[in-house]
Amino acid sequence: MRICLMGFGAVGQGVAKVISLKNDYLKEHYGLELKLVAVTDSSGAAISQDGLDPDLLLKIKSETGKVSNYPEAGIENIDGINVLDKVEYDTMVEVTPTNIQNGEPAKSLTIKAIKDKKDVVTSNKGHLALFFRELIELSHQNGVEFKYEASVGGAMPILNFAQETLPGNEIKSILGILNGTTNFILSRMTIEGSSYEQTLQEAQQLGIAETDPTQDVEGIDAACKTVILANSILGIDCTLKDVQVTGISRITSEAIDLAKKEGYLIKLMAEVSPDSLDVSPRLVKQDSPYAVDGTLNMATLKTDLADEVTVVGLGAGSVETASAILSDLLNIWKSQK
Amino acid sequence: MRLNMVIELLDVPGQLLAALEPIGTLGANLVTVIHQREIKTERGLIPVQITIEGDTETLDLVMNKLNELGFRVIEVDGNILKETINTILIGNIVDRDVKDTMDQINQLKGVRVADLSLKMSEEPLHSSARITVEADFGKKKDVLEKIQNIGKSKDFLVISEV
Repeated sequence: MRICLMGFGAVGQGVAKVISLKNDYLKEHYGLELKLVAVTDSSGAAISQDGLDPDLLLKIKSETGKVSNYPEAGIENIDGINVLDKVEYDTMVEVTPTNIQNGEPAKSLTIKAIKDKKDVVTSNKGHLALFFRELIELSHQNGVEFKYEASVGGAMPILNFAQETLPGNEIKSILGILNGTTNFILSRMTIEGSSYEQTLQEAQQLGIAETDPTQDVEGIDAACKTVILANSILGIDCTLKDVQVTGISRITSEAIDLAKKEGYLIKLMAEVSPDSLDVSPRLVKQDSPYAVDGTLNMATLKTDLADEVTVVGLGAGSVETASAILSDLLNIWKSQK
Repeated sequence: MRLNMVIELLDVPGQLLAALEPIGTLGANLVTVIHQREIKTERGLIPVQITIEGDTETLDLVMNKLNELGFRVIEVDGNILKETINTILIGNIVDRDVKDTMDQINQLKGVRVADLSLKMSEEPLHSSARITVEADFGKKKDVLEKIQNIGKSKDFLVISEV
C-alpha cells in the first residue's frame, strides 16, 4: 500500500515509527507492505516513488526539523495539494494540525484525495467537526474508504469498536471523557489539592497541555469528538455549533474538595445522545467506570442488547495515536483483499 | 401486615407480570392491583398500585427483590419516596443572594434543599457550594433545570451529576 503522509508532527512521526516497527510483522501476517511515497511538513515534502525510509525521515526531522532536507527526494516549499499530484499512491494519511476555524488544510487535501479516488485515513478533528456529512457523502459518491478512528480518543478503540465489535446493537447514547489534558489537570487537582492555574502550568511543563491550552481546557477538543461520535455512531446530523460547551477553567480546588467529601469526582464529560450534545464538568461517583485518572480517556456506550459497554485507553501520544491509524489502514487492506 | 405501594412500569407487554411474579414466589399475598394505562408518571411510566400482605420479613424480601429487578417503587403507604440530587456551584455564591438560590429550589413542589456546604475561596467570585436536594421521585429533571437556570441568571458554573 503506497501512502502519502500529510503532516509530520507528533502523530506523523508516530506513523513513521509504527511503519518502521511493524513492517515485517504486517508483511508476514497480512501480506501488507506499507510504503511511504511522500511525506509533508510545513517546510515542504520528501517524495519518492520507490519509497522513503521511515527511520531516515525521523532522523532528518529530529536533526534539521524539515523533511525537505531528505537526500535527493526533498523538495522545499511545495504545497500539500501539489504533492498529491506528483506521486502515485493508494491511501492518504492526513495528520495535519486540527483547525476548527475552517478545517484547512485537512479539508482541501481530503476532498482532493477522495475525488482522485484514493482512500483516506485521518487523525484530524477540525474538518470532521465542521463538515462531517459533506465529507462522508463525497467518499460514498467516489466509492473510497474514509476512516478516522484516531480522531476520537487516540488509542482508545471506539469507532471501529462500535461498528465492528457491537454490530446489530443500537447505540442509544455515549458518555465519556474524551480529552486527556483536562482529565490530567482535574486528576492532579483532586490528588494534590492544587489550584487550576498551578496545575495547568505543571501540565504545560510536562508537555501534556499546549502553550495555548484553550482548545483543551475550554472543552472545544472534546466537543469536536462529540460531533464525530454523534454523526458516525448515533447518526445525528450535527456540527460543532450544535454542542453545548463548558470548559474547566472555572473549576476550583474548593469545588473538588466539596465533591470529594460526598464521594464524587469532577470530570469533563461529553454526552452524546439524541436529546443532548453536551461537554461540561460533571460529578461522577468515585467507584464508577468514569473515575479514570491521568491522561486516560474512557467512554461508556449504552446499547439496546449489550447494555453498557465501557472502553478505556490513552487519549493522546504519538505512537498511541498511530496505532489507531494502523488499525484503519489494516481494515482498508482487509476489505480490499 | 398489609403494605400499599406504587411502582413505575414501562408500557410494554410482560412488565406487570414480571413485577407481580416475585410477590407470590416469596410468599406474600397479593390483595389488589390497580393498573390504569392511561395515567402516566412524570417520567412517562405507568404507576401501578399494588397492595400485598405478609409478615414484615416477607414484605422486606419482596421490596428488595423488586429493587433488584430494576422496578422503581415510588410510594409506600402513601409516602412518596425521595431521591437525593447533588450539585456543585462555582461563582459569587454569597453576594448573589444565597437565600434566594435556596428559596427558588424550595419553591418546586416535592423538593427541599437538605444540605448546603459553602467553601469560600480567596477570590470571592470563585466560591464553591455543594447543594444537596431531596426530591420526590421523578422530579430530578425539574430540579436540574431549575438549578441550571439559577446558574445562568447568577453566572454560576453548575456541575451536576452524570
